Amino acid sequence: MTRFRSITSRVVALHVVAIGVTSILMPLALYWLLNAAANNLHRDALRGQAFTVASYLKPMPDGGVSLDIPPEAEPIYSGGYGLYVYAILDARGKVLFSSRGDGQPLASPAAPLSNEWFEQRRSTGTVLIGASVSRSIDGRLYWVQVGQDLAHRDVIIDDIVASFFPRVAWITFPILLLLLLIDILIFRRALDPVREASATATSIGPTATDVRLPEQAMPAEIVPLVRAVNQALERLEAGFRAQREFTADMAHELRTPLAIMRARVDSMDEGPLRRSLQTDIVNMTRTVNQVLDIAELESFVVAGGERADLQAVCADAVSFMAPLAVDGGKAIALTGVEAPVWVRGHAEALFRAVRNLIENAIRHAPSGGSIEVDVAADGTVRVADDGPGVPPSERANIFQRFWRRDRARADSRGLGLAIVARVAAAHDGSVSVDDRPGGGAVFTLRLPPA
Amino acid sequence: MRVLLVEDNAELVSLLVKGLARSGFAADSVGSAADAAHAMAAMRYSAIVLDLGLPDEDGLTLLRSIRGRADATPVLVLTARDGISDRVNGLRAGADDYLVKPFAMEELVARLQALLRRPGNLLGRQLNVGNVSLDTEGRQVLVDGTIRAFPAREAAVLEILMRRSGNVAPKRLFEDQLFGLSGDVGSNAVEVYVHRLRKMLGDCGARVKIHTVRGVGYLLAEDKGG
Repeated sequence: MTRFRSITSRVVALHVVAIGVTSILMPLALYWLLNAAANNLHRDALRGQAFTVASYLKPMPDGGVSLDIPPEAEPIYSGGYGLYVYAILDARGKVLFSSRGDGQPLASPAAPLSNEWFEQRRSTGTVLIGASVSRSIDGRLYWVQVGQDLAHRDVIIDDIVASFFPRVAWITFPILLLLLLIDILIFRRALDPVREASATATSIGPTATDVRLPEQAMPAEIVPLVRAVNQALERLEAGFRAQREFTADMAHELRTPLAIMRARVDSMDEGPLRRSLQTDIVNMTRTVNQVLDIAELESFVVAGGERADLQAVCADAVSFMAPLAVDGGKAIALTGVEAPVWVRGHAEALFRAVRNLIENAIRHAPSGGSIEVDVAADGTVRVADDGPGVPPSERANIFQRFWRRDRARADSRGLGLAIVARVAAAHDGSVSVDDRPGGGAVFTLRLPPA
Repeated sequence: MRVLLVEDNAELVSLLVKGLARSGFAADSVGSAADAAHAMAAMRYSAIVLDLGLPDEDGLTLLRSIRGRADATPVLVLTARDGISDRVNGLRAGADDYLVKPFAMEELVARLQALLRRPGNLLGRQLNVGNVSLDTEGRQVLVDGTIRAFPAREAAVLEILMRRSGNVAPKRLFEDQLFGLSGDVGSNAVEVYVHRLRKMLGDCGARVKIHTVRGVGYLLAEDKGG
């Protein structure tokens, strides 16, 4: 059944086969039934005639019988078209009376004398069909045989078989087709809840794990599946919740002591120790923030339909990082389109990606150097610096967690670019690094348009 | 200036209260949302410093109930939560500003002062950056304590820059505040005023520098020489 994936198409396919078989079998059955009914009618008519003829038998004083057919009934037994012939036999099979006057029984002499239906093939090639009934007069048994030439069967009966049948046979086909159509409609209706549930299911994601598929109105056969899926979602949600709570708890547990430490150091007297401790805390805070971002990005998925203005995101990121750049004696600029650039994405996640790219550029640009953030209408952000650039051999590594060119350098690239890579991946985008014409590195973040 | 500090970590509270006191803020501290509600009912505070992680109630719930009462007291939210999905939550619920732990004491003070300097609040008529001061009332500019005559537009540009000193003041802000809705702003009008202001500040020996953040705006910072 691999060719018919949908239930409806399976039903239709099976139904078409069923219609094919039925439209052959049904006319055949109808034909057989009609013939049987026609034969029954015919037999009853012949038996009725046989009883009528038998009623004309009268006992005679000599112990024999006489046949008194009223003159007005005589023509019926002339044997013409649609008419009858008869023969009356005694118990031994001797013909006493016969409409044909040939002294022969209608049925073959070998045929048993009984209350039976018989058919007699005659030398002329036609078939005589008839019925025989017995009648007892004065203790003696007589057989009355009444027959009719098959070629002369009742016109009405012939008509039924001959003309009614083809019409009935033809009407079965459209009826079966109509049935098929109705069945498809019924099926589609029955599967509507499944379709709705599927639409609901597409909205499920790590950002929306509280969605459950509706069980009511669902066909009973599918309810167990729906229930199982909902239970799986329940467990999934619990997992995501645990992950989120863990990240939030971790944030609290790490940042609160850092806040105390910072406040304590800030209350110290001005001096080189205070300044270096402040720098240590700033560096540690940065690492903690990045670790928390990485942890959150572990289970981060952009909700369907979410969009962000990449131009505004970049303007925010440049504003946010400008004080750090200025502090380091570096210029920073935002170039490219000034109109909104809508991309499919989470504004805050994109902000962090661009911020990390800028942070990386500031760290590598020389004092007096410049950082340029360029936004293109196709959803591309380029962050260029005039630092030493990234050698081709390192380009694949720098987006990995905790990778550092120089392990001795405390403030070197740690998690920043890994965060960028994760955000890009979560958006079905990409990030890459190239040489900047004229020296330096240019990081390109590409995002799918909204 | 009396502020209410709502924070449940006792150690942090004592350090922050001392730090705020050094900057001229008298801070009352409470450790729960319930106590915060009582304190606010009993006393009118100039500002509230609210930690979101409270033991009895989410700080955001408290913030919503403050705003629900149409209480316009400035609220500075402190939080250890800075997740990708957290960031804007505090501001949407009506916080005036947002500070992620850990933070520098001077940052907390600067943010509080900025909140109290907003229209409707009287604190800090005087803005100071480096050796430059600006009286927001009369837009009087002082460099090294000497009054300098600055034209109105240039003084206005300086005020915008000084209110946000250390941070980028977006170009749009200048256009809106200098020209309002009335004038048709020339594309480089702001640039022209900033250029003139730079020259004037330089001429009178001001130790501040206006950095251009091309494509975004301007940033005023103390000029540390060099």
